[in-house]
Amino acid sequence: MTPQSFKKTGLALLVLTALALPLILRSPTYLHILIMLYLYAYMTTTWNLVGGFAGVLPLGHSVFVGIGAYTSTVLWLQWGISPWIGMLVGGCLAGFVGYLIGKPTLKMRGAYFALATMAFVEGVRVIVENVDKLGPFKLNGPRGLNIPPLPAGESSFLAFQFSTKEPYYYIILFMLMGVAYLTWRLSRSKLGYSLSAGGEEPEAAEALGVNVAKCKVTAMVLSAFLTALAGTFLAQMTLFIYPKSVLTLDLSFELAFIALIGGRGSLAGPIIGALMLRPVTEFSRIYLSATLPGMHLILLGVILIVVMLYQPRGLSEPLTRLMSRLQDRICSTKTGGAQ
Amino acid sequence: MSLLELRNISMDFGGLRAIDSLSLSIDEGQILGLIGPNGAGKSTAFNCVAGVYKPTSGEIWFDGADITGAQPWDLCRAGLARTFQIVKPFASKTVLYNVMVGAFARTDRTDEAEAIALDVLKSLHLDRKKDFKSGALTIADRKRLEIARAMATKPKLLLLDEVMAGLRPTEVDEMIDVFRTVRDSGVTIFVIEHIMRAIMALSDELVVIQFGRKISEGKPEAVAKDENVIKAYLGDEYVAS
Repeated sequence: MTPQSFKKTGLALLVLTALALPLILRSPTYLHILIMLYLYAYMTTTWNLVGGFAGVLPLGHSVFVGIGAYTSTVLWLQWGISPWIGMLVGGCLAGFVGYLIGKPTLKMRGAYFALATMAFVEGVRVIVENVDKLGPFKLNGPRGLNIPPLPAGESSFLAFQFSTKEPYYYIILFMLMGVAYLTWRLSRSKLGYSLSAGGEEPEAAEALGVNVAKCKVTAMVLSAFLTALAGTFLAQMTLFIYPKSVLTLDLSFELAFIALIGGRGSLAGPIIGALMLRPVTEFSRIYLSATLPGMHLILLGVILIVVMLYQPRGLSEPLTRLMSRLQDRICSTKTGGAQ
Repeated sequence: MSLLELRNISMDFGGLRAIDSLSLSIDEGQILGLIGPNGAGKSTAFNCVAGVYKPTSGEIWFDGADITGAQPWDLCRAGLARTFQIVKPFASKTVLYNVMVGAFARTDRTDEAEAIALDVLKSLHLDRKKDFKSGALTIADRKRLEIARAMATKPKLLLLDEVMAGLRPTEVDEMIDVFRTVRDSGVTIFVIEHIMRAIMALSDELVVIQFGRKISEGKPEAVAKDENVIKAYLGDEYVAS
């Protein structure tokens, strides 16, 4: 077995397992936990396009989730436009907003970009909480928007509503696989090389013909667009959105936590991070939310400190090393056996 | 025809005039050395050409176009590449990755960039180390990598900022060979250097500056005998009268 085929086999097994899981796991509760896990893995992967490759720290990505969620919901509630179309509209709107935030702030180095993104999401939340109508669009202030559910037992692809969890599971799984593939392609493209180089040594990258600021803005627009798609998915999953659910710093920070702990700038990092940390969040919400609300962020903070002390590049690095050692052993024993 | 021309460049930092109406020109295929005592304004002149600073007055012409105040990435695409005095490798990436970043200045395709990078690495004898993390290289190899990256952008003019500093004598000799290879491939070189042995052996022409002004220029042998230069480096009492 060559290292190449080892990797391919491993990946195929992983995808097959993910595809087959709903056949084994019939409980809607567990499926829901998995769906949320994939959703966070998806959002962190799109976050990683800026936060990982471009070497800056966006702390306001929930603004794009919020734009995606609100756009598709408003379009559906007021004009009956399918959330699938709303999803794309929301994505484009988020991409535009990403451009507006990124253009002036991504030229700055250091903490300014992180602070600007944080301030922006807070600003948007306060606005949405305080207006009932923004022009012709009903936002309903802090009460949020309710999507009326279809009659019990009915599913409609066009309305993006399903009576069982399985369709949601497959939709978000395919979204995650798509965005992971995109990241993989990007990391091997000119833009990927330019982003990594600009993130690490901006002056040297510029001298090698990379317009660093422009590359970062491009990544930001792409990331914003893709993150907003997750917003629509979240809205259709829960059928109820309000400013504190989709436009909060909590969500923004959690994405950053997952990426930093999992390993920013790597393909596997966000997925490993979500796999390890989503259960922490879920169980702390189930068991501790009555006595200690918000405990999950404290737990994530503690984990982040420990990981940063011992594995400053995140958990994906030691795991990748472990995998390649395993690969060496399996490949060498296989060839050894053939001789 | 001159490839690079500085016309009366002046550069002020607040009240300090770092460069005072400096003019010089480099012909195609030449190696021009810029020397001068510490604080003479060499690096400032260099940074004006490389697009880091915009000169207070004067013009810089490259390959028939006015490039005064152009951005570094545009200069790179126009065919002007530079190295840094303090090397700046993308330390977490491999040697090949580093050079490919430069190669992408000339192509959008990953496989082409890789081919260009491998060619450059081979010509600079770095191909055996292509999969090393660049942060793990020796200082001599890092300087070589710095040049490889710049060469991968297929420059017409290469600006070298003290690439010999910190090298052992044998490494300096190797580096001189590297530059001759580069020059023979048709690239013009503008070099700032402190190591006299190296710059004397390399340069076709020398320009000497002091306090931001040009005090001498010409063939290396002639410049070495110039009274003004001896005064600038060693003081008045060393001038044979």
